[in-house]
Amino acid sequence: EDKIKLRMSTPASETDQRSVALAEVFAPAVADFATYEPHYNGSLIAQSSELEAIASGDLEMSIASAQELAQFFPEFSIFATGYVHQDAAHQVAVFNDPLMAPFKQKAEDELGVKLLAVMYLGRRHVNLRQTKDELTVMTPSDLAGVNLRMPGTDAWQFLGKALGANPTPMSFTEVYTALQTGSVDGQDNPLPTVVDAKFYEVTKQIALTSHLVDLNYVAFSKAVWDELSPEQQATVQAAAEAAAESGRVKQLEKEADLVSFLKEQGLEVYEPDLKAFRDHVQAQYAGSDLAASWPDGVLDKINALGN
Amino acid sequence: MTKLLSALGHFARAIAAAMMALMFLTFVLQIAVRYSARLEWVPEQFPFLEPSLYGWTLEFCLLLWVWLIFWGNAFIVRDQDHVTFDILFLAVRPAVRRWFIIVSGLAITVGLALSIEPTWSKFYILRLKKTATLSSVFGDWIRMRDIYAVYILFLVAVSLRYAWAVYRAARHGVEAPTPKSVGDAQK
Amino acid sequence: MSVEFFVCIATLFFLAGIGAPIAYAILIASLGYLAIAGQGIGIAGKVLMDGLYQSFILLAVPLFIVAANIMNAGTISDRLLGFCVALVGRFRGGLGHVNVVASLIFSGMSGSAVADAAGIGKIIIEMMTKSGHYTRGYSAAITAASATIGPIIPPSIPMVLYALVSNTSIGYLFLGGIVPGLLMGLVLMGMNTFLSHRRGFALEDPVPLSALPGRTVNAFPALLMPAILLYGIYGGVTTPTEAAAVAAFYALLLASLFYRALSFRALYSILVESARSSAAVGLVIGGALILNYVVASENIPSLLAARLVGLEIDPLLFLLGINILLLLLGCVLDATTIILVIIPLFLPTCRELGIDLVHFGVVAVVNCMIGLITPPYGILLFVLNAVTRIPLSEIIREIWPFLAALLVALLGLVVWSDLVLWLPRLFGYAG
Ligand code: NA
Ligand code: NA
Repeated sequence: EDKIKLRMSTPASETDQRSVALAEVFAPAVADFATYEPHYNGSLIAQSSELEAIASGDLEMSIASAQELAQFFPEFSIFATGYVHQDAAHQVAVFNDPLMAPFKQKAEDELGVKLLAVMYLGRRHVNLRQTKDELTVMTPSDLAGVNLRMPGTDAWQFLGKALGANPTPMSFTEVYTALQTGSVDGQDNPLPTVVDAKFYEVTKQIALTSHLVDLNYVAFSKAVWDELSPEQQATVQAAAEAAAESGRVKQLEKEADLVSFLKEQGLEVYEPDLKAFRDHVQAQYAGSDLAASWPDGVLDKINALGN
Repeated sequence: MTKLLSALGHFARAIAAAMMALMFLTFVLQIAVRYSARLEWVPEQFPFLEPSLYGWTLEFCLLLWVWLIFWGNAFIVRDQDHVTFDILFLAVRPAVRRWFIIVSGLAITVGLALSIEPTWSKFYILRLKKTATLSSVFGDWIRMRDIYAVYILFLVAVSLRYAWAVYRAARHGVEAPTPKSVGDAQK
Repeated sequence: MSVEFFVCIATLFFLAGIGAPIAYAILIASLGYLAIAGQGIGIAGKVLMDGLYQSFILLAVPLFIVAANIMNAGTISDRLLGFCVALVGRFRGGLGHVNVVASLIFSGMSGSAVADAAGIGKIIIEMMTKSGHYTRGYSAAITAASATIGPIIPPSIPMVLYALVSNTSIGYLFLGGIVPGLLMGLVLMGMNTFLSHRRGFALEDPVPLSALPGRTVNAFPALLMPAILLYGIYGGVTTPTEAAAVAAFYALLLASLFYRALSFRALYSILVESARSSAAVGLVIGGALILNYVVASENIPSLLAARLVGLEIDPLLFLLGINILLLLLGCVLDATTIILVIIPLFLPTCRELGIDLVHFGVVAVVNCMIGLITPPYGILLFVLNAVTRIPLSEIIREIWPFLAALLVALLGLVVWSDLVLWLPRLFGYAG
């Protein structure tokens, strides 16, 4: 048998929604002509080195974030910007819209990476050690002086500051202890991550800021794609979309269920003044260096695709 | 020639010591900034202590750590500093030990030298990849390839060092192994 | 598993066997693997750089090495250990006990066994060999063995990694490590007592009890350091990694300003020497990263998982079997690899057999830490070899009895899960 081997490397665990969706939906759909070989927990390729591994032919697939793509092509930062995507359906609409074509083309031409589908990661919220009595977060000014752990890139730190907090970079593995001991006051992640990483054990409240509707792309080697027959290409494309859809449905369900779970764990979960947050964050981005890298008119087109 | 080599040795050690000191100071700065940010008056009185200005500290320490490893192994780590499995090496006759040095030295020289070009071409794509936070320290020109380049320097230097060791063993034989003793580190 | 994999392992053992530095032996063996497998040898450097450039937690290693060198040169460690000597040094094998007790104290400050061994371990080895009562192999062996306690008593980097792959509570895992950590200290002190009597190690000069207050005062600023670090970590000022920098900073202040035992020149040599040791250790860690890549690209983890599906066995038997397997793997693999790549394979079976995952996690981490001192690939042995230059052969010759003591403790932890779970349950763990 000379099936094509599709090695996929991700820092996510085997039980992560995205991993499950690819293993259970994508893998069987392409099984006729390809063997899907997943590597979890970054065990094959180190986190955020997957794209260049695909580029140099050492990997066939990954689950790529917009932030990782922005390290190569700064314009991708628009998809990692606060209050741009409104919900999961909006992400899909943006991904399938012609506005996305030049982005996809650039990744293909310069990196040899095809973006097949968009996966829904969840809404990121602000998760704090303080009880709601000690600190009620209604507007960005309430976060003044709060040490909020954010991933350690300029774009993330910018978002943390735009939210009104003191963003602090820290590696993910140290966040739990840091929350427990108070070296940071809070962190921002989608609810499933709050549960998977057990942050709810060491925090008291979640302000549902929804400041970033986070996404990943199913990234696929252009070189391998070009070897496939047109029928096989269509199968791979459909399989990626089906996996993304299945993951999306499950992640949305999980997010909905987790609110009540977190409340049972004694956390206070509430919605702040979203308009105040949205206006403040968007004002920070306007005229920033990050925004300078966005192609003209794309933000308007994205907004037009939303509600 | 000997003078030049000795001056270069001093220079290499000074660079390594500076990287070590800088890593240590950066960590202290990172802690000081995070801690002082809790006192609201600090960032107000001293705007340069604003925590968002220090997002680069973590990655900068990683950069120093990686450079320290490869700069160190290229220029300041001595044979006896290496982690070795020396049971057999210490037990055999000098004539055999000479062959051990020649064979392992040749393997290292040839292996590392052959990997220089393929490694550099693997790094080629990184000329496009920005660092996560270091632009704010070094300027916008810096790319991941600039950081990874130290590994190429390491490959070149170490393959030359082992080629020299092989030449010496082949030409002059071997000396008794350097005595390893506790407390050497403090000399 | 492929032909190239066996070529890789054979090359590694051959080159390391004839005395090539372990890191270069791994590098060359992996280049051979990649060449035969047709993967392109350039990827070795890429994998190594990617891995090191990600390893935030490893930054603790160079910083703890600096801290240890400063404490060493600035008489701090002498004063600190002088206190431990007055406390437990009066018994036969006293400095061996001091070694274990100091490790227990220091394990509360660091999450990494490697940092413990490279830091305080190096100082105690020097004290033990200077006293003239112990061989350097014995000193290094008991140091390596007691450094394995470091990541069992919280904070603990390996437990954080396990919690991530197993979805268990880090808080309960940390609590679950305390009793096992103390137990390990106990068996090591027991073995030290036994060996000291059998070999008739001379008693240290007895420190009269009346000298204890004086020694305590003398060591007080130094004794404050663990307290400061504990406050730093548990009081929320620093992360465990940053604690390493605080340790170095505090040591620097003490040595230069308070004890006035450190010149600028001495500081410069300390920096150069620390850079040397860190670079040598860093290269071995880099080698382990490439080896991980080779194992992952052979897809060994999922091959193993496929074999395990549908086995029906007694839980205790299963646990014992896994532990033997992990011990064997620990002889050739790095603890991080085992925790992130191998352990996840067994978790589904554990769940099915009703094995408590906090219990399993603590036992597995203890097992992996024992793996750090099992030859031929025992990173603690290598690190001690790098920072003290005591030949590996001498360390390995003396390691066996301590290894045996730790294995007995491990067996106890496997059989009596209450040893692990008692404390977490006290704090509300439902398992
Ligand atoms: Na510890
Ligand atoms: Na081992």
